[in-house]
Amino acid sequence: MHARVFDLQDVSVSFRRNAIEARSLKYALASWLRGQPRPAFAALSGVSLSIAPGERLGIIGRNGAGKSTLLRVLARVITPQRGRVAVDPARRIVPLLELGVGFHPDLSGAENCRLAGALLGLPRARVDARLDGIVRFAGIDGFVHEPVKHLSSGMYARLAFALAFDVEPDVLLVDEVFGVGDEFFMEKCLARVDALVAGGITSVFVSHNLDFLGTRCSRFVWLDRGRLVMDGDPATVARAYRERRGVFED
Amino acid sequence: MDHTSIRFTWTYAISQLRLKYRFTALGVVWNLLEPLLYLGVLSVVFSYVNRMTLSDYAVFLFSALVPWRYFEKVVSGCTDAIVQGDWLLKQVPASPFSLPLARWIVASAEFGFSFAAVALVLALVKDRWTVHVLVVPLAAVPWAMTALGVGLCCATLFTFFRDVRPLVQIGLMLAFFSAPILFTPHLFDQGSVQARLLAWHPLTYLAALFQKPIHDGAWPAPIDWTVAFAAAAASMALGVASVRWARPRFYFYL
Repeated sequence: MHARVFDLQDVSVSFRRNAIEARSLKYALASWLRGQPRPAFAALSGVSLSIAPGERLGIIGRNGAGKSTLLRVLARVITPQRGRVAVDPARRIVPLLELGVGFHPDLSGAENCRLAGALLGLPRARVDARLDGIVRFAGIDGFVHEPVKHLSSGMYARLAFALAFDVEPDVLLVDEVFGVGDEFFMEKCLARVDALVAGGITSVFVSHNLDFLGTRCSRFVWLDRGRLVMDGDPATVARAYRERRGVFED
Repeated sequence: MDHTSIRFTWTYAISQLRLKYRFTALGVVWNLLEPLLYLGVLSVVFSYVNRMTLSDYAVFLFSALVPWRYFEKVVSGCTDAIVQGDWLLKQVPASPFSLPLARWIVASAEFGFSFAAVALVLALVKDRWTVHVLVVPLAAVPWAMTALGVGLCCATLFTFFRDVRPLVQIGLMLAFFSAPILFTPHLFDQGSVQARLLAWHPLTYLAALFQKPIHDGAWPAPIDWTVAFAAAAASMALGVASVRWARPRFYFYL
């Protein structure tokens, strides 16, 4: 095990604008012949960040600040164009970036659990042995053999949460997904999250709900326009964020 | 690819196979009917052009058409595999190789079934089978490698340029009609332009790996093996290199 779960040095990520047109050979050739530079949008600019084992990090910022991009960099879903990302390979990282943990819409809930389990390094026998518990926690007993595309977004989220919690993650990355699902299921989920966090896992949450983050995080990071503008204890960062209404001026 | 990715690829391929046949009325029988229908229609027309008997031409056509249909399926299937895998690649750090590889596994399983099933049917029309057919499993290896390599290249290209699909289809069509699959290479005089072009066509040698043992009752020549395996190695190297190069860029184009 490494001393740091994540170590990011000077990480920058930018997205091309006009991405739809750019996905055409005709457009690419035309802009290459004209020598047109493709406009880009910087989602993250020179972000450096270290996360120690057991830390509970909350990422805050306005819409478009780069929170989700940063979480995707931590999950190794996005490879930054610049900078260095070091992730402790010995830890099982479970990303809950959107609804589903890599769920195929045409496969059933049970098949998706096996598939996502394989992706998270779990043997099929172990997933099968725990499938009943996952389905019970998700509360979708009658629908587990239905294609997940036929499930409601709440049921879909329930299954994703149930699986993510059951695989005993070392690191949990959660992107603003606690708004889905009914109040009672969310209570159950939050109780499970709190138990995992109390057990010492490393967690990173992205949310606009500062009160939710405040009760669960030991450290806040504030992002604005792709830059990391403040990193510290939750009360101090949250106060500064609210005072400046989320806008950081140099 | 690490152990986790390999296990995921296998699990995904199996689930894709199940999914594919779950709601089909004919199920796996379609894998027998499809090449048989193809063979039937083409045999009636092209046996006349090739000046062969219907049964002899059916065996000749079967020998290279079934691997060609496999090649075509792999390339077409792999082309959009990465783009259609956005449900995975945008949420978890999965290997992009898994998606085209799973399609390749599915197509390979179907090819194995189709080949065996059609061979059983054609056993009724062919007079004599020789020991040379034992080399067929080995002959399938360069076909599988070439198909996967070309498929990986197409998957990378399609992720960046969504308008390349018609080009891929035109390329496949040109390759099919210019290769000795529908016609025998002996149709042209030695030294003719067509014969010289066929000598430079990699599919001539790949097709010979199946045509010679199945139709001619002979071993493939060393040049057939050499060119076929060289084409397979080159396309695999190019395909793997293209996906590796594009891997950090895929997310931005999904």
